[in-house]
Amino acid sequence: MRRIFAIWAAKLSAIAGIILGKKASSGPGAIALKICPDLIKQLKKDIKYDVIVTCGTNGKTTTNNLLYAALTKSGYKVVCNKVGANMLTGVATAFAMECSWLGRLKADYACLEVDEAYTIKVFNHINPDVVVVTNLFRDQLDRYGEIETTMDIMKKAFENADYPCLVLNGDDPVSSGFGRNYKGKTFYYGIGEKVLPQTDDTKEGRFCMSCGTEQTYNYYHYSQLGDWLCPGCGVKRPSIDFEAKNVDIADGLKFSVDGKQFQLNYRGFYNIYNVLAVYSAINCIDIKIKSFNALLEDYKPQIGRMEEINLGKPFILNLAKNPAGFNQAISTVIQDSRRKDVIIAVNDKPSDGMDVSWLWDVNFEELEKSNLNTLSTSGMRRYDLALRFKYTDVKVDKITDNIKDAILACRKTDAEVCYVLVNYTMLFSTENILLDLQKEQGRDDA
Amino acid sequence: MNNYKITIVHLYPDLLNLYGDKGNIECLRKRLNWRNIDTEVILYTAENENFDFSAADIIFLGGGSDREMEIVCESLKSKKEELSDFIEAGGTFIALCGGYPMLGEYYQTSEKTIEGIGILNIKTDFLDGNRVTGNVILECDNISHPIVGFENHVGKTNIESYTPFGKVIKGGGNDGKGGYEGIIYKNLTATYLHGPLFPKNPQLCDRILLQALKTKYSDYVELPLLDDELELKANKYMVNRG
Repeated sequence: MRRIFAIWAAKLSAIAGIILGKKASSGPGAIALKICPDLIKQLKKDIKYDVIVTCGTNGKTTTNNLLYAALTKSGYKVVCNKVGANMLTGVATAFAMECSWLGRLKADYACLEVDEAYTIKVFNHINPDVVVVTNLFRDQLDRYGEIETTMDIMKKAFENADYPCLVLNGDDPVSSGFGRNYKGKTFYYGIGEKVLPQTDDTKEGRFCMSCGTEQTYNYYHYSQLGDWLCPGCGVKRPSIDFEAKNVDIADGLKFSVDGKQFQLNYRGFYNIYNVLAVYSAINCIDIKIKSFNALLEDYKPQIGRMEEINLGKPFILNLAKNPAGFNQAISTVIQDSRRKDVIIAVNDKPSDGMDVSWLWDVNFEELEKSNLNTLSTSGMRRYDLALRFKYTDVKVDKITDNIKDAILACRKTDAEVCYVLVNYTMLFSTENILLDLQKEQGRDDA
Repeated sequence: MNNYKITIVHLYPDLLNLYGDKGNIECLRKRLNWRNIDTEVILYTAENENFDFSAADIIFLGGGSDREMEIVCESLKSKKEELSDFIEAGGTFIALCGGYPMLGEYYQTSEKTIEGIGILNIKTDFLDGNRVTGNVILECDNISHPIVGFENHVGKTNIESYTPFGKVIKGGGNDGKGGYEGIIYKNLTATYLHGPLFPKNPQLCDRILLQALKTKYSDYVELPLLDDELELKANKYMVNRG
């Protein structure tokens, strides 16, 4: 009975939220768990096959949503926290919303994105069968302490969950370490050839997690990802089960795995990892999927992942939350040869991470090579960004607390394209501004 | 360029690379270059451990993860005499974040007690309860703008009779409860404030640069002023947020 009350309360609160114009994310789940603390445990029993959890610093929302799309398009019923609310309450919301008003759940799979720091808490409620780890980069240190702390939490969570099958990024010397001496099954994915120019990027995980020696690389992708080897203790990139080869990033993304060709229409080298992670998860538990390529063709990356919005000229909105994410975004900007305006906006709210020291570890000076027309900074840390550029001799044209002003100014320049790079709490408001401007434009054109 | 030159030694930037210390080194360098003073930045790593510290004008020690701090601390213990001589002779030394407690007799983490380099008679015990994390505002003698920064530490440092670096207006400081922050000893500045401290605190950066220039050149009296409008705006913005 409690369960039904809990589900009703969650559903009603979500409906109230929709009326008030809010997105249902954590709130309804929080209410449901107050009424019925073991709601998720009860509902887990109604999942027919597997629970697949995705965690890791970057790419987990994209990976989890793509997995969800793969499963639903193949006709399965799936519980999923699509909106990216990835703590216990967000997971509870996903379950409550998927239930009928009688409190019944009919689902084949659950695919859940879970924040690394909350894995122990969430796994206490739901034991995953498969855990996909995208990568572990430096992110939001003030929340998590350090990468080592995050790893300890996740190891403990895997142990508590009785060693679920792990799908790991073999190119990442940090997170692939979960697979060493692991008591459960492990599968690795990776990109098996040199693709990008070999730079000396921020390799935050460049020292061996086992012995502390600096790792060497046969080839290197970005951040600490690549074909790595520790000369100290001999630990190296594991043998890869699902490996991308023949990678072509000139126009969209093309690559092959086991002789099968894949093609995506969107930008960003890192998206190859997201696709590989999904492909590996599906294959490691042998889920029958309809055409994977058709799925990739239809799949629209969610908000703010190189999202293109046309305002007379393209404005490309991209979310980046940490040095690895920003460096990847900047490298994508440089690969685009068009004359461009760039707007960068960074906030420091708790969900962004309140410490913005990492801004100095982003290769912002590279933007100068990107056929830059104007550069603007915005967000709560607009002055920090402007100083970052001042001390690397890149001219900032505009510093504004109102990103709309920057967008409107860029609309008037003769640059061909405008990139808008923002961190988490700037994302939704910036997207709304861009979409509203697009609507207004539609009206003016009509 | 005039004939002045400052050599900055950045200790173990390869290991202590967590918190954007590049911002501090770039700020020191640029603020000298803008005044036509030549700079050399030496990255001190395991590969050039034979470097003679007496050739340095400024030595910089930043922070890193627990594990990497321990590796650095162990290596620097063998350089204790040289580093101590450098500081006693009025050399300019900057220790930020975990670099600060490391200079003392010992420091503790949640797991263990680690013997420090032992240059300063300070002791750092594990602060029970939560990590001290957040934006900090300090008041420092002879600096007209408040010092703004960010702290993230689990230690509380007993500074004995040393002069503190600043008075805490907002934040945890040495004992995590407010009061005072960091220490000043001769031309050494040590503080828990981490990451890019200098860009938003131009007067602090200049005070340190002037110390180094005066120590090296007896005729050096005053730094020419720079346009710090943006730096001070960034500083004021953080102060006003409180």
